[in-house]
Amino acid sequence: MSAGARRAALWGALFIINFGLIATGRILDLIEPPVPWILMAANMVLVIPYVRAIRAWQETSGRMTPAMRRYNQRFLAFSAIYMVAMIVGGNLADSIEPGSALLWLTATAPLVPVLGMIWTMGRFLVEEEDEYQRHRAVNAALWGLALVPCLGSSWGFLEMFGLLPHVWA
Amino acid sequence: MKNRLRVLRAEREWSQQDLADRLGVSRQSVNAIETGKYDPSLPLAFRIADLFAMPIEAIFLRD
Repeated sequence: MSAGARRAALWGALFIINFGLIATGRILDLIEPPVPWILMAANMVLVIPYVRAIRAWQETSGRMTPAMRRYNQRFLAFSAIYMVAMIVGGNLADSIEPGSALLWLTATAPLVPVLGMIWTMGRFLVEEEDEYQRHRAVNAALWGLALVPCLGSSWGFLEMFGLLPHVWA
Repeated sequence: MKNRLRVLRAEREWSQQDLADRLGVSRQSVNAIETGKYDPSLPLAFRIADLFAMPIEAIFLRD
């Protein structure tokens, strides 16, 4: 693994581990709202060095294309909107009247950037002129399509029998 | 698929980035084709052949 890839992997791992610790703390009720949301927002700062490391690695490893640059910018923007929607919604949920239109709006707000991320992936496949980069992106998407349902279904079945706790989306 | 891309590139003293720029692909793509990790599509194979002014069969070798 190149130095650039290692640097990007390190920042990414730190970001994910932190999120895992915060989520674990919340699931086990070790931390109460709004502490998890504040910690998640603070953790978002790690996105900056992570994205910089990823971009530098893509440039030096010969992976960067104009379509990839646009993909990175769009995905980052939608990720930021998603995090804001999650943090704001998570903090406001308990103080909104159950079943109200505002609660529906708050609950569905994160779906908009998620759809934006899916759109971004689709646009990349359309805009990318490099066939090998398209091939890699399709392979990655297929692996994700296989892994996410496997992990989600496995967790769901174990949760159904009370062996694992419920995890918020 | 085995190919002579690296040899042909070296004869012209082109780097992988040079070849990538001439073909309009990324350097990673050139590397993947040279090392046999990826077989180019027919349009890209024709572009490679046109660039080196050779038939495709002179560049890409049957296994």
